[in-house]
Amino acid sequence: MTGRVAATDEWIRYRRTARHDGLVPALSLLYETVCDGGAPPRGPGGHVVAPVGIAGAVTGEVLATLTVEDGTVIASRSRAEPPSGSTTPWAAWALGVTCLRFGLSERLLDAALAHLGGRTVGDAKLLHQQMVKGGVAEAVIEQLEIATMLEGATPGDLDDNVLTGLNAQITETDRMLLRLLGAVSFLADGPGQVARVSELIADVYFGPARAGEHTGENTGEHGGAA
Amino acid sequence: MIELDDRTLAMQRRARAWAQELKPLALELDQDPDAIHRHLDVGIMSYLTRVTVPPEFNPDPVVIDGHRFYGTGTLERVVFAEEAAAGDAGMLLAAPGPVMSGVLVDAMGDEQQKKWFYTRIMEKPTWTFFALTEPDRGSDAGAMSTTLTPDGDDHFVLRGAKHYIGNAARADLGIVFARTRPGPLGVTAVLIETSAAGFTAEPLETIGLRGLRITAVTLDDVRVPAGQVLGRHLRATQRGMWSAVQGLNRLRPGVAAFGLGIARAAYEYVLDNRRTLSAAERHRLDRLGLRLTELRQLIWRSAIAVDDNEPAAGYLASAAKARASRLAEEATLEALGYFGPGARLDHPLLDKLARDARGVEFMEGTGNIQKLNLFTGLVQGSLRRD
Repeated sequence: MTGRVAATDEWIRYRRTARHDGLVPALSLLYETVCDGGAPPRGPGGHVVAPVGIAGAVTGEVLATLTVEDGTVIASRSRAEPPSGSTTPWAAWALGVTCLRFGLSERLLDAALAHLGGRTVGDAKLLHQQMVKGGVAEAVIEQLEIATMLEGATPGDLDDNVLTGLNAQITETDRMLLRLLGAVSFLADGPGQVARVSELIADVYFGPARAGEHTGENTGEHGGAA
Repeated sequence: MIELDDRTLAMQRRARAWAQELKPLALELDQDPDAIHRHLDVGIMSYLTRVTVPPEFNPDPVVIDGHRFYGTGTLERVVFAEEAAAGDAGMLLAAPGPVMSGVLVDAMGDEQQKKWFYTRIMEKPTWTFFALTEPDRGSDAGAMSTTLTPDGDDHFVLRGAKHYIGNAARADLGIVFARTRPGPLGVTAVLIETSAAGFTAEPLETIGLRGLRITAVTLDDVRVPAGQVLGRHLRATQRGMWSAVQGLNRLRPGVAAFGLGIARAAYEYVLDNRRTLSAAERHRLDRLGLRLTELRQLIWRSAIAVDDNEPAAGYLASAAKARASRLAEEATLEALGYFGPGARLDHPLLDKLARDARGVEFMEGTGNIQKLNLFTGLVQGSLRRD
């Protein structure tokens, strides 16, 4: 996974856009660049999660409409066969989704550091409490592992089992950070809502994360490309 | 292992039956928290609306198999809470009743205050609230900035803000913690009526447990009669936060049972909806079932300790609560794993459980707070380990 940094600019963009601009801009960028005007990929169960306004994203039953910090996403499901001629490459999509979710996890860490750094217990910052420091460090260890795995990756380098495991690990890391953030992470207009939608994206394209394991064991056949 | 006596088993059976009525209402309430007003006729309300009202104020308790139930016993309440939360945690939290504030009134109220409070509770289904947490300060009593200042001889004025307060927008009555002077003994609690001028409660949209309808409360010069200040008959050291801590120790096993109920609901959802399981899946599910049993035992142990006034009660309850909030998260995520990609969309009840589970962490102290409390009990020697 070395010597290929130049080839991964696109994947870094998803991560950076997610971290600095948020979920909807990053997901929109992913659709624009990977789908290239084609139908958005469906998950193995026929589900799609897309920002409002993406052409062809909602082809079946709308199951959820979720407002996040910077826009709205729609989750839908179609039982019909994908339209013929759809060419969205699954490998590119799967890597892009993973990079995007990792960027959102980094954004969540940024939010946690800012929030905890701004609160005090007695005369000390909450962020500087030993248990909080340890909790943050645990999350950072997870993120360093994930980042290292993703570094230099191009579509197809990491197979579906690895990407499924990485997505489970991102979910677990997010949960650690949400617990550190406290009750603010349970509000529908805060960073916890982004984490919720991020989990939904993983659920749709890779299957649900199982608590306590990110072993790469997939829970269903991936139908990937639409 | 702990086994329940006949009386508590009777409550468990009845609560399990009541909980069956809650399940079909879960998604409706999640969509519309005000739906609770349409479902006040479900059987469980006969208990919830009066739970913790002591016999002298409750002439008409719930009677099951000849046993009278007032909800004043902690073991009784945790057995009930697990069953009810396994039905629907949102409905349990949305219900009118005096649970949290009732425990505080029992601990800190004088006879006149108890009579006033319980009479109001017994008149009709009445929502109550308990306001300790403040914006940006959490439940750190040392940093509490809501003030209670004298206003003439027979009134006080309440000024400040509270955050993440469940049911306050529906409530008629509640308890607010405020500071009367600097220092650890300067915190006290008052009973207030939400109809008082200057009281507002704005609902906050949440990701889960939406039935609870948490709010941001503003106290803009709310006048409080002196007779509604709790704990005036107690020694200074027993007022305010000391009593709050004692009350929270009594409530904590119930919060743990609430998390257990959510975890169990996820486990049972898998049993009910996956007809065949691979050997590996069966093994994982059995392991989850064992973890539920272990947690249930720990919760019962902490509840019995509370009922027996054991010094270790609060610490045991912290252990149970810390484990329960984590298991609720893990069990709900694990359950989703049995249904493959798109499970959160195809199984909305399971998705709701996973969202609800996230909220348990923040009820009555986070996992870190509980661990710190448990550590205190350990090094002080209060936690018996033989």
